[in-house]
Amino acid sequence: MFRIVVLGIFSLLAAAGAASAQPKQPVLTVYGAADLSFAFREIALLFERATGAKVVLVLGSTGTLAKQIEHGAPADVFFAANASFVDDLQSKGAVIPGTRMLYAQGRIVLAVPRGSKLRVERLEDLLGAEVKRVAIANPDHAPYGRAAQQALQAARVWDALKPRLVYGENIRHTLQFIETGAVDAGIIALSIADAPGVRHVPIDPALHAPLNQIAAVVKRSGRPELAMAFVQFVNGPEGRPIMKRYGFLLPGDF
Amino acid sequence: MLSLSIYKELPGFTLDAAWEAGDEVVALFGASGAGKTLTLQCLAGLARPDRGRIVVNDTVFFDAATGTSIPSRRRRLGYVFQGYALFPHLSVAENVAYGLHDRGREERRRRTAEMLDRLGLTALAERRPRELSGGQQQRVALGRALAVDPELLLLDEPLSALDAPLRRQLRAELMGVLREWGKATVLVTHDLAEAFQLADRVVIYDEGRIVQVAPKSELLLRPASELVARLLGIRNILQGTVVKATPEIIELSWRGYVLEAINSPTRGYLPSPGTPVAFFIRPEYVRLIRKDRPGPDPGHHMNRMEGSVVREVDQGTNWTLLVRLDHAGEPAQGDYDLEIEVPKLVYEMLEIARDRRWAISMHRGSIQVLPAA
Amino acid sequence: MDPFPVLLSFQVSLVATLLTLLLGLPVAWVLARRRFPGHDLVEAAVVLPLVLPPTVLGYYLLVVIGARGPVGQLLGALGIELAFTWRAAVLAACVGSVALLVKAAQAGFESVDRRLEQAARTLGRSEWNIFWSITLPLSWRAVFAGTVLAFCRALGDFGITLMVAGSIPGLTQTMPLAIYDYVQANQMREANLLSLVAVATALLFLLGLGRLARLRF
Repeated sequence: MFRIVVLGIFSLLAAAGAASAQPKQPVLTVYGAADLSFAFREIALLFERATGAKVVLVLGSTGTLAKQIEHGAPADVFFAANASFVDDLQSKGAVIPGTRMLYAQGRIVLAVPRGSKLRVERLEDLLGAEVKRVAIANPDHAPYGRAAQQALQAARVWDALKPRLVYGENIRHTLQFIETGAVDAGIIALSIADAPGVRHVPIDPALHAPLNQIAAVVKRSGRPELAMAFVQFVNGPEGRPIMKRYGFLLPGDF
Repeated sequence: MLSLSIYKELPGFTLDAAWEAGDEVVALFGASGAGKTLTLQCLAGLARPDRGRIVVNDTVFFDAATGTSIPSRRRRLGYVFQGYALFPHLSVAENVAYGLHDRGREERRRRTAEMLDRLGLTALAERRPRELSGGQQQRVALGRALAVDPELLLLDEPLSALDAPLRRQLRAELMGVLREWGKATVLVTHDLAEAFQLADRVVIYDEGRIVQVAPKSELLLRPASELVARLLGIRNILQGTVVKATPEIIELSWRGYVLEAINSPTRGYLPSPGTPVAFFIRPEYVRLIRKDRPGPDPGHHMNRMEGSVVREVDQGTNWTLLVRLDHAGEPAQGDYDLEIEVPKLVYEMLEIARDRRWAISMHRGSIQVLPAA
Repeated sequence: MDPFPVLLSFQVSLVATLLTLLLGLPVAWVLARRRFPGHDLVEAAVVLPLVLPPTVLGYYLLVVIGARGPVGQLLGALGIELAFTWRAAVLAACVGSVALLVKAAQAGFESVDRRLEQAARTLGRSEWNIFWSITLPLSWRAVFAGTVLAFCRALGDFGITLMVAGSIPGLTQTMPLAIYDYVQANQMREANLLSLVAVATALLFLLGLGRLARLRF
């Protein structure tokens, strides 16, 4: 009996060992903000077909990813949800200076669950009595959350609304709050707002600092040219339509 | 040969003990918490004295001055713990064989079989300790300790976990085993009868100190002090005043009587007249003077006194009579002066139940003066 | 659906549990059998990972083993990669679960009658021998329970792993990270399937272990 268990353990380890072996083709590891997931899945496929390289997408909260890159994460290129994290990495010497590039300007929208009876079209509507809870991404570390805060402050509803705010870890998380009806309304990124569970209206971009989403090639990368190529692909004729479709617009597109 | 001198301080208790013994059975006797088990643990290397020296059969087990301390596992001893500490997950045979791990397989098997046979445990070899009776467990513990052929055997209250009839039986068995084995043994007990039956020499502990070390024959005859007498459970410990002392005799006054006691033949104790002194009278050596045969003259009966039986206590085979003496004054022990042991036959023949007034006498040898501690 | 996260998770958890046993049993024994200055502090330190938020713990670990950290740089000089590899996932799982084993094993060791160990000492056995022949056999149930708990905790680790190993698909993305990723990407079908697989395989493994345990006595 004991022998069977030992055999089982070893075969499991062998299989997993095999599973974690690296493939032969060149691999590009792209670290990106959570809101890029739909857009980049498509773009990555196109890029793979075009270059024969394999793209590994690692998506998450910009703050966490930036910290990891600072401490040696195996990213080739970093698509942050704002500029400050990239600037920070640049000052720490973690990214290649000349590669800093704007790839989108984010927009925030005001969203409610699809089946909601509420009439929420302006930020001021959030003060209504029926709006018990409002979700935004955490302004402390999520750029879209910070933009949401700025917009609410500009609309002069921030102080009154603060007690009713619920913070999501990132905009994906925030979207879930709205989709599941855990909150009555929320502010999320336009790029993920086309989810079936919500309906949304745009928020005036003048109410907040521009959400410049910056990309840069990571200094430790073993494939800086391939990484640069990916950035250009995203901003180029193949990537732009997809980005546009998911609400990621460059200044010239607005 | 064993020589021990240890000092150890613990919160609320200090052990300061020194004694020696030959290849004999030594009993450490005293109340619970007096330091007996701690001494055993120091001997075994399970506890470390703060100061002192322990030498067993010319090997220095411990010497604080040189920093020597042989670890437990190399002291070649056998230890029978209170409660036996048998390994519950091992069989009887495995328990007995546990100390033989460094011998060859053949020798191990042979010694184990021998020991099991010697203690009558062969039929139980494969059982687990929890399936055994108290007496059987005790034998396994003994077998386990002896199987390694130790230089020194240590037993901590080996019989206290058993009930009275079993204890008597096992005491005899244990005595046989110890005699046969013949090497130095140290045994801890709070039962005086056990100490007397099993040991050659007794060390009396009281609150971390030794109050007397003596061969057992000497102990009851000549307790070193009133404290020892009390610890030994000696009865009729009384307080008197010296009238006169010579190397052979001590006259003392007590309850208005002048009593004549023998002096210690080894150490002449010569207190000056007027010194308060403790002494005891052996209850079983007090004579009731028969009324039909008073004797040739009143002076014939030594240390003669008169009194009444106040109460009696049934001891099963004897009666203990509590006698209050005629002389005026407070009785020495509560509402009576003396305890007297009387066999049941004598009690009935003399009709003591009915006839309460008695004259008593005792030979001077039955009165023992206790030196000041 | 990609089976890699499942295989990786089991590999990581098994290795982490072995590491936990290797490190945790001696610590548990010392805590149970030895009093020394700082004893209580060590006890508290062991439990600390259970109390700190996982991402915080992960962050501090990353600072130490990452490219800028003392351990990371040392290992880097030796040519060993730790952060952002499956080895970091093992570290994360171990850190998160060692306290469970230590506490259970410590309680188990403490419950073994000291006199049995003393008896073994007088019968000539070394401390190492006494541990294997007396202490462990008499406390194996507690140790086993602690090991199972540690394994389950290792299998389910999320926050610490996310920080020190990252959620790199095909490299360090364990089951919990993969499930989270699916949910974030709104791929609920894949998320549910993987969750089912996770629960089923864990259950089978635990049932097997339970069987093994019953065979002992």
